[in-house]
Amino acid sequence: MAKLLLYLTLATSLIPLFSVAFSPENPTDRRVLVLVDDFAIKSSHSLYFGSLTSRGFQLEFKLADDPNIGLQRYGQYLYDALVLFCPSVERFGGSIDVASIVDFVDSGHDLIVAADSNASDLIREVATECGVDFDEDPAAMVIDHINYAVSNFDGDHTLIASDDFIKADAPVLFQGIGHSLNPANSLVLKVLSASSSAYSANPKSKLSNPPSLTGSAISLVSVVQARNNARILITGSLSMFSNRFFRSGVQKAGSSIKHEKSGNEQFLTEISKWVFHERGHLKAVNVRHHKVGESDEPAIYRINDDLEYSVEIYEWSGTSWEPYVSDDVQVQFYMMSPYVLKTLSTDQKGHYSAEFKVPDVYGVFQFKVEYQRLGYTSLSLSKQIPVRPYRHNEYERFLPAAYPYYGSAFSMMAGFFIFTIVHLYSK
Amino acid sequence: MARSTGKDAQALFHSLRSAYAATPTTLKIIDLYVGFAVFTALIQVVYMAIVGSFPFNSFLSGVLSCVGTAVLAVCLRIQVNKDNKEFKHQMIFIPQIAGPTTRASFCRLCSLQFGAAFGDHEFPWINLDPAST
Repeated sequence: MAKLLLYLTLATSLIPLFSVAFSPENPTDRRVLVLVDDFAIKSSHSLYFGSLTSRGFQLEFKLADDPNIGLQRYGQYLYDALVLFCPSVERFGGSIDVASIVDFVDSGHDLIVAADSNASDLIREVATECGVDFDEDPAAMVIDHINYAVSNFDGDHTLIASDDFIKADAPVLFQGIGHSLNPANSLVLKVLSASSSAYSANPKSKLSNPPSLTGSAISLVSVVQARNNARILITGSLSMFSNRFFRSGVQKAGSSIKHEKSGNEQFLTEISKWVFHERGHLKAVNVRHHKVGESDEPAIYRINDDLEYSVEIYEWSGTSWEPYVSDDVQVQFYMMSPYVLKTLSTDQKGHYSAEFKVPDVYGVFQFKVEYQRLGYTSLSLSKQIPVRPYRHNEYERFLPAAYPYYGSAFSMMAGFFIFTIVHLYSK
Repeated sequence: MARSTGKDAQALFHSLRSAYAATPTTLKIIDLYVGFAVFTALIQVVYMAIVGSFPFNSFLSGVLSCVGTAVLAVCLRIQVNKDNKEFKHQMIFIPQIAGPTTRASFCRLCSLQFGAAFGDHEFPWINLDPAST
């Protein structure tokens, strides 16, 4: 009875939330489900969650084996993004399992997976579905005897200070397991990789044979952007998000620079912005094409016509759409292979256009814009347009190559006329 | 042997020339007309051999009209010749007018179908374009 009441209140309170949901006009995620192992994480990682809520996300915390959790109800997704901060969960509760998480991502929603040194097989399976493989040894952690961070309470060099990436004020602290990426996978990207002196092994036991994951093949933080522009963040350290790491200072072993604050907060804030579609999200609107000199869109072109193609591309800045400025957007005039490939020129306000001549081939063509750049959503526009050959009266009226034949016809006419006169009126 | 054939050819040629000189002027005029038509056709064939057969329709219409004129003129010559007994005089010339006219129209109709040089402006009231008004 109480549960029913709970459901009712939950359902009625969720209804107004549906209107503030993820939509094409506002691509940032709004409702985020956070699955945790126990609610202590809510307080020990409160700085990270606070930064999310201050940017307008609505977080909902649930235990990972809560039997009431579900990602969708009656065919509609209840959340726009999922955060798995539950590295030791053996079975998800409710209606969530690996297949439903994969469906969630396949329908365009975002995901953050954080594993840790006691990661369960379930979390590893979720990560493998997303394209990264955690180290198979369950007790292994990433150890780096050269790039470790000096700290009071850790003596086994598993706390790594990594600064292998651009524009961070301070190194990022990491303590957990590493993963590797399949080099043939073109959708996965290493964001933070371990230095070349790192390896993945059990810190408590002696190494009997060389570790399988070494060096910069170990990735500490990776992202995946799927072909439907869903974004996934996978990392092997849940403590990277914790308040303790956010607040602590960093001093790399062997260097005398002591940073007051680690770069974790800055790094994770920016990465979360990217994962939740606050930055790096493009949209292309207003695809138009017309003959040069006219303004309306014809239904069919003729070969050797001059036409102009234009499109507007905007980038989401977190709060509004800003014009996207770039000089490498290209349009193809495509029929089985691109007959024309032209770089669009921009007016710096998000309007891109190009002029070209229709090739001397007739058929059904497509205007294709395929734009895939690192860190941005992929644009894939295509508009079909037929191209016809010349009509009968669009050919040249008199062909210069045929002047002798015209001359012969006229001369025969003249000759015939003269001949009839001569023949009839001479004696 | 060669000298006798050479002399025979010369004798043959002389006899032909003298026999031809005896034909009536009317027939000579017709012969001249036939020669003119064939010569025009020949010029067009040589031109096509040089530049290639690109407006093939134009080539066909030009050559065929010349050759057809030549053929019809030869028919006229046969009928006009007084040595042929079997033809009446009066109605000979009418085919000579109708023939080239039909043939020229036919040639232009053939070029019309391919839509090339002399193309559709022959019959501008026929609208072949389904998309225009």
